[in-house]
Amino acid sequence: MNTEDNKKLPILSVQSLHFSIGGTSILNGIECRIFEGETVGVIGPNGSGKTTFFNCLSGFCMPDAGEILFKGTKITDMPPHKRARLGIGRVFQNFGVFKEMTVIENVIVAIESREALWRSFFPWGTQNKRNRSEAYDFLEKVGLHEKAEEKTSSLSGGQMRLLEIIRALAFGADLFLLDEPTAGVSPKMKDDVAKLIRLLQEEDKTIMVIEHDLNFIEGFCERIMVIDVGRIVLDGEPDKVRRDPLLQKIYFGKDANEKTL
Amino acid sequence: MDYFIHLLILICIYTILAQGFNLPFGAGRLFNLAHVAVYSVGAYTTALLSTELGVGFWGCIATSILLAATASILIGGISLKLSGDYFAIGTIAFASVVSALEINWKSLTKGVLGIPGIPRPDIGTIDFYQNINFLALAFVFMVLCQICFYIFFNNSIGRSLKAQAEYIPGAEALGKSTKNIKFFSFIAGSTAASIAGSLYAYYINYIDPSSFSLTEMIFVLTIAVVGRPGSFWGVTISTIFLILLPEPLRFIDIPPSILGPMRQLLYALILFFVVYWKKDVIFPVERRI
Repeated sequence: MNTEDNKKLPILSVQSLHFSIGGTSILNGIECRIFEGETVGVIGPNGSGKTTFFNCLSGFCMPDAGEILFKGTKITDMPPHKRARLGIGRVFQNFGVFKEMTVIENVIVAIESREALWRSFFPWGTQNKRNRSEAYDFLEKVGLHEKAEEKTSSLSGGQMRLLEIIRALAFGADLFLLDEPTAGVSPKMKDDVAKLIRLLQEEDKTIMVIEHDLNFIEGFCERIMVIDVGRIVLDGEPDKVRRDPLLQKIYFGKDANEKTL
Repeated sequence: MDYFIHLLILICIYTILAQGFNLPFGAGRLFNLAHVAVYSVGAYTTALLSTELGVGFWGCIATSILLAATASILIGGISLKLSGDYFAIGTIAFASVVSALEINWKSLTKGVLGIPGIPRPDIGTIDFYQNINFLALAFVFMVLCQICFYIFFNNSIGRSLKAQAEYIPGAEALGKSTKNIKFFSFIAGSTAASIAGSLYAYYINYIDPSSFSLTEMIFVLTIAVVGRPGSFWGVTISTIFLILLPEPLRFIDIPPSILGPMRQLLYALILFFVVYWKKDVIFPVERRI
């Protein structure tokens, strides 16, 4: 969609990333460059290392070897919260929302992280009121404003996804790592998630999204990466990737094998 | 009347102590069982400095806070590397080290005999041997601590603490340094405990290791659990309620040797039933990545 992409500097560049747990190697030298404003779909069979790859990018797993550069800064050894402050927004596969808090508090927590602690130190300060109204505006974008004061645990799975993504936006992330945002979400809600991803695209955010549903991500991704056994085996435009026989073999072929087992 | 003032002073001291426990425990889910040990560090520091060296009130309070904060940095530095239940076990280990020191380091703490003759504070010309004046002092400290904790519970610190308690990766992904937040709540709680300990030593004029036993820890835990962990007003009210609750027992004709154990039994029963009936409210379901 965006022909200027190649002229831009890569926002994220990953070089020969290796990761293993207890002798089992999960990632075997991932190499990729993600450009600013791109929307990249990441697909691959179960256990191929997609989530581990995201964990390495967001700092929840420390790679054994390799280098990760984000906005030109080496972040390979950085703890997760520092990477987040640089602008990496992670959305978890199994809901990272805080269910004990109210919906609006989830967003306020994110907004508060952006600024110095002392600004929202006093609960009766004006900054707190400002943060609250800003959080309300963010909730309005995804239609959750009516549930602002309700406990987050009362939301449906799809609404929690929306909340988590909008929370990352409120936090001010530039690179969104969405780990299966439509897992366990109703078809109607899937549309809402897609709408929200388009909203992120409009704000010129860089998005990486793990998905199993190829038809779903084709709608908004301009590039698709296929991961298999810890390596990027295919990388290109959706049409090209879809036609590639390798995809049929590793993705659908493996699924077929699993069924026969 | 003096009896009534006595109860109010106890309420002030215990509100400070319980609120200091409530911040890391209630908001941050840090089960700090060394809280009373830190409280005893405050009490012993004040007792020793004022009886042996004749240090004044402000000197004692400041040194108590400093020592308790140092102790909490020590406990926190080691125990906060552990998570969940293991953290609780780590703090129990620390608490038993402190209590062993208090009982066995006889040349310093006089062991189980305790330290008698702690003078009342000496601020200006006010006579703090009058309990009503001491109540005013304790009340001022209680209000100051309450204001601080009200702020902590309701500002970004409290929210971050609650966030990390629920889902550490979630909080980290929003740029929160969960380690620093936990450490902060821990030190804030310990500071409150040392102030409470200092006031306690000044008020009772005598301390011994039995005042800082596991029973005391259970009492503080009961206050926090009854008041709903993490609830600022809940814990404030439950402190008042639980201090006053066993008092009617005094007016029944029971020998003092039975009265003490009866109070403990009462608290233990309350703790048990609240945890039994309200466990989902008190300890929400934990999650993993």
